[in-house]
Amino acid sequence: MNKKNQPESLVLGIDTGGTYTDGVLLEYNTHRIIAAHKSLTTKRDFSIGIENVIKEIELADPAAIQMVSISTTLATNAIAEGKGKRVALFLIGYDPDLIDSFDMGNRFATPHYFYIEGGHDLHGGEKAPLDLQDLLEKTRAVQQKVDAIAVSSYFSPRNPDHEIRAQNAIASVCDLPIVLGHQLSTSLGSVERATTAALNASLLAVLQEFIIAVRRAMENRGINAPLMVVRGDGTLMNDEFAAQSPVETIHSGPAASAIGGRFLSGEDQALVLDVGGTTTDLALIKDGKVTVSETGASVSGYQTKVKAANLFSIGLGGDSQIRMGRGNQITIGPERVVPLAYLAHLHPNVKERLKALSKRGWPAPYPRELEYWFMQREAADHTTFTAREQQVIDILKSGPKPATEVLKTMGLLDPSQIDLDNLWREEIIGKSGFTPTDILHIEAKHTPWDIEASQAALSVFSHYLNWDEDRFQQAFWETVTEKITKAVLHFLTEKEIPTENGTGHDLALWFLNNTLIPAHDQLETSVNLKIPLIGIGAPAKVILDKTAQVFNTKLVLPEHYQVANAAGAVAGSVMVTEEILIYPQLSAGNVDVIGYYLQARDGREEIEEFEQAIDKAKHIAGENALSAALRSGADNPQVEIEVIQDGMDSYRIKAKAVGKPRLEG
Amino acid sequence: MKMNKVDTEKAYQLLWNQITSLELEPGEILDIAALADELGFSQISIREALRLLIHDHLVEAPPRGLYVAGLKFSDLEKISTVRLNLETLAAQQAARQATKDDLVILQTLCEEVAQDTRELFTLDQRFHQAIAKAAHNNYLADTLDRLYGLSKRLWFLALPHLDFLPSAVKSHIKLVEAIRNKDESLAMEIMQNHIEEFYLKIKDIIQEKGLIEE
Repeated sequence: MNKKNQPESLVLGIDTGGTYTDGVLLEYNTHRIIAAHKSLTTKRDFSIGIENVIKEIELADPAAIQMVSISTTLATNAIAEGKGKRVALFLIGYDPDLIDSFDMGNRFATPHYFYIEGGHDLHGGEKAPLDLQDLLEKTRAVQQKVDAIAVSSYFSPRNPDHEIRAQNAIASVCDLPIVLGHQLSTSLGSVERATTAALNASLLAVLQEFIIAVRRAMENRGINAPLMVVRGDGTLMNDEFAAQSPVETIHSGPAASAIGGRFLSGEDQALVLDVGGTTTDLALIKDGKVTVSETGASVSGYQTKVKAANLFSIGLGGDSQIRMGRGNQITIGPERVVPLAYLAHLHPNVKERLKALSKRGWPAPYPRELEYWFMQREAADHTTFTAREQQVIDILKSGPKPATEVLKTMGLLDPSQIDLDNLWREEIIGKSGFTPTDILHIEAKHTPWDIEASQAALSVFSHYLNWDEDRFQQAFWETVTEKITKAVLHFLTEKEIPTENGTGHDLALWFLNNTLIPAHDQLETSVNLKIPLIGIGAPAKVILDKTAQVFNTKLVLPEHYQVANAAGAVAGSVMVTEEILIYPQLSAGNVDVIGYYLQARDGREEIEEFEQAIDKAKHIAGENALSAALRSGADNPQVEIEVIQDGMDSYRIKAKAVGKPRLEG
Repeated sequence: MKMNKVDTEKAYQLLWNQITSLELEPGEILDIAALADELGFSQISIREALRLLIHDHLVEAPPRGLYVAGLKFSDLEKISTVRLNLETLAAQQAARQATKDDLVILQTLCEEVAQDTRELFTLDQRFHQAIAKAAHNNYLADTLDRLYGLSKRLWFLALPHLDFLPSAVKSHIKLVEAIRNKDESLAMEIMQNHIEEFYLKIKDIIQEKGLIEE
């Protein structure tokens, strides 16, 4: 096939963010965006939002699509909300006293963990025989209580024999899916490896269901193309790989945004800021690539060994709730709500009520009266509610109501008196409030919905503070710029941002404040960012404008920056890495080196000569990486091999096969 | 090894279970679109899963349409003959090849107690699969695996009329003992009797109750 004569290679990229699920139809070779679609993210089941995008995006010929690629916060979200499946984790050869003394038991991401005798040492020798009997008894005892099993054996990257034997035995007595630590991580951190295995096991079924739903949606739309999923470092894997290692999709959303920013702007050195509805995410592009975190992705406080982009996220987005904090400070986020402009757009009576509120003389309107609750969807028939939940639903059935009114009707003073977590999580009721999006309406910078509602809300706030409206707007923008500036500084320097300590003697803090708002008569301070900012997401233009000024750099807004995140889902390369360890085989008593072990993913062999071992490892790693890359959908993958020394006489042979995704018409 | 797609694999498992447990009855028409809607899968994955099931002899594809394979009395004879010989072979090979790990696994499975007849069957199946694995011949294990699916339907047909089978558990214990002692001929003998007893019982019930037309 001649690429030049090929008229079009159409691909569909989808990104599920915290608020919106974006889709773009894109011509792969020219990066031209042909169509885009925005749909609300459905947290209760991400596949619904994605199905909506697939169903509704404008497609002249669905059959012409050659690839669909998705970045999703599904895994991150499932872990954060405890929606993963229940896992039993077997720790072979781990020292229970050591784990206890460092209080590490809560780091395994499951309460069902068990210690089994066995494991290996640094040299791959058996530390203790594997107690298979005990393993099987514990499996039998726990198998009804869990949905999947994870096994991590001490020093399994050096010798996975006990993990493999454990898998074989467990599979003989039950049908639960089994994940082995050494298959996910070749590094030696035993706790992180166990955590990674447990998280992967808990996500297997979640990702499997997701892929089944997406493929069904594709078929219903007449799309017959390979399905790819974005990894946490922005590279792609096909759906089959994703189903086996779902843990690798952690942080794939922000990674895709960063790659999309690079893809559409062509900037090779830049700081990418993705302003979404819920958060603003920062990532660094260096030499055309997203920088990757050295330590591995951490999610909900669990440290994993998964490679992920180096990211920083703050709870500030277009739909962050603006509230009054202590000392009449304006606070923005981290809670995400539906902008009042949008709620009023859907429910005109909300506008009338807001206008009436803003004109009320006595009692003076409170900003907290601006929070509205509303029915977001009908609950399924079989759902049962608590009496309190039902009461809230009954009150909201006739239309959105201020939270203060709902509570008053129920005879309550404070929302903390009722537990509505279930209704929020299932997205049965929603929350609306004053947001940056409303301010953009007022300032006529982005006005798809009801400006009057936003205006009324602003007047309530400024009235409450006894400010004129301009002053409120100015204070709001200063707060936004301060938050983002601090985030950029923290992300790039990895230093803690000084906080107001009351003494006024902190020079770093003075520098920062004087840079944000010049206030000194003689001294001028500034900080220059040597690379441009790339703005992504609908509110990026207005939100980031002042931040770019603070850093004396330009703000690059690539064409279609509003949906660059979705473009990023297709922009990554398909990548597979394969590692092989070489370490010395020692004589009795660990005295002399008598040969070398070559430890690959699926087995270990002994080789006498070091040179021979290295050559063989390079060959196997290269071949394995290449064939895995081809299987996961890479077109003409190129292999790079690296030999890294890893401790005394130990070497890590790393083969990386990278290629553009193979497009299939 | 060629992997099936995630959704094909899952659809295959679901349909395999429904057919082998007679939830989908022998002779029933299989409508791809309806199954896709009901199970929430793409039609492609259902079609591919059914293709695999044709290969398993659990689905039939006459010139028009797809059906759950019918059950014939002659199948019982054919399946039992093949299984009898292959299971005996597996027992012999296991006695020769079983590792320490295999013995721990077999012992554990023997000691497990079933609460009802259905669970007993699942356990029995696991035990036979573990023997096949202990024979360390993957071709033998694969062939036996496919026969379980066919066998399971006959068993489910007889299930409502069956009593609990404690004698099966006893022969399992004896079999593990023979394998542990590397006594090949004893292992073969126990297995042969065990399988014969099973099929005789099923055959009796099926004939007596007229569950399949001859």
